[in-house]
Amino acid sequence: MATNPRVLIIDDTEEVLSALCKYFDEQGYEVVSADNGLDALKLLEEDIPGFDLVITDLVLPNVSGVAVISIVKKKFPKVPVIAITGWGEHPEALAREAQADLVLEKPFKLPDLEKEARKLIAGGSNR
Amino acid sequence: MGPPIIGVSKHIQHIRELVDHVAHTGLNTVISGESGVGKEVVAQNLYSRSPRLGKPFIKINCAALPEGLLESELFGYEKGAFTGAEQKRRGKFQLAHGGVLLLDEIGDMSLPLQAKLLHVLQSGEFTPLGSEKELRTDTWVIAATNHDLKQDISEGKFREDLFYRLNIIKIHIPPLRERQEDIPPLVDFYVKEYAKQLGGENIEIPSPRIIDRMMQYSWPGNVRELQNVLKRMMVLGNCDQIVNELFATEPENNTEVATSVSTGQRPVSLSDLLDLEGENSPDNESFSLKTIKRKAVDQVEREIISYVLDKTDWNRSKAAKILKISYKTLLYKISDLAITPPPGKRR
Repeated sequence: MATNPRVLIIDDTEEVLSALCKYFDEQGYEVVSADNGLDALKLLEEDIPGFDLVITDLVLPNVSGVAVISIVKKKFPKVPVIAITGWGEHPEALAREAQADLVLEKPFKLPDLEKEARKLIAGGSNR
Repeated sequence: MGPPIIGVSKHIQHIRELVDHVAHTGLNTVISGESGVGKEVVAQNLYSRSPRLGKPFIKINCAALPEGLLESELFGYEKGAFTGAEQKRRGKFQLAHGGVLLLDEIGDMSLPLQAKLLHVLQSGEFTPLGSEKELRTDTWVIAATNHDLKQDISEGKFREDLFYRLNIIKIHIPPLRERQEDIPPLVDFYVKEYAKQLGGENIEIPSPRIIDRMMQYSWPGNVRELQNVLKRMMVLGNCDQIVNELFATEPENNTEVATSVSTGQRPVSLSDLLDLEGENSPDNESFSLKTIKRKAVDQVEREIISYVLDKTDWNRSKAAKILKISYKTLLYKISDLAITPPPGKRR
């Protein structure tokens, strides 16, 4: 990859969030993280360079992952979003309706997620 | 429209911040919290910061109407749809088109109606009763509840798919007892409001010492109870006595029994009730035969009314019949004596 892609990762489970951040960091991404939807919204609103990808958990306090996806898709339609979920039921369908580019069910392998992330970033003309 | 979201606690600051960031989205929202915490105030603030301001803001209480009536209120009906439907009537979804529909007490909605609501939320379409035509609606649905909807789901009383569809934005308002620092600014705001309404010159307002004491109270009826108490103080005067009465009726374990006066620890004997050695000592400045008698009578009334309301499962018209007082008097006494329903029962 020519420049380091910027990724916003949102998850309210500390272990999951830190594992994701660590992995993407090691793979050469510039990682920004939030442990709730409201902080994620603030980052999206304030972040000037913009993100190349958003990865979000679906069940979050306050502003749910589904809300984050809807808002990203409305404000930054070209930024790809991956939804990760441990619930495998209704929120998943809602994430698709909100036009998440990919819904990935936990558990998944980090290299698989990164492969999908790379594909999506390559496919979209963002920023 | 409506008051601002008042408070200085981190909870309230967080809610204000959340409202500022999500009001423009129009995404389905659930506002939760005990009775009287101000769920409608938050809904109004969402509306007034949204691009929908100026469009209709329609509210309906899902607990106050029987199922059939609630359905026709929500979706409307055609002339002749049922006996008595002499005129076509537009439903709340039609009236709220372009604006906001606040579904209060959503946890009390019946399962069949929940299914119909889910359909509207999924498709943006609904059919008035007796009509063959589906109507489109662009309505921002905000639901409010004092139920634990997750609990309701596990008991089969609330649809899980509807829960997730509504819960895109979640705003929880903690009870007043968990944010005592909000009491002074709330008192300040409502004292000014009521002073404008009352308009008199010799209105008694609570002193800083009284406000301090008010901060120690558990406020089972939350901000609504605080409003009632302030009104009483300003209309009747004698803030000391009114605050004393609050503590006299407070259940001992004020965090556990916060929403039910009737299940708390009660005084068991007349001397406990009068408490002449403690709270009502003749050394106290508010001591007089009249005040102590009034307090004791209030407490007896509160006890009896709470007991009967408990027995009738908070059916107020039944309770009024048993007590042999008018329905209106009962409602007045419930409010005046600050009797609050147990969780899940509406005021």
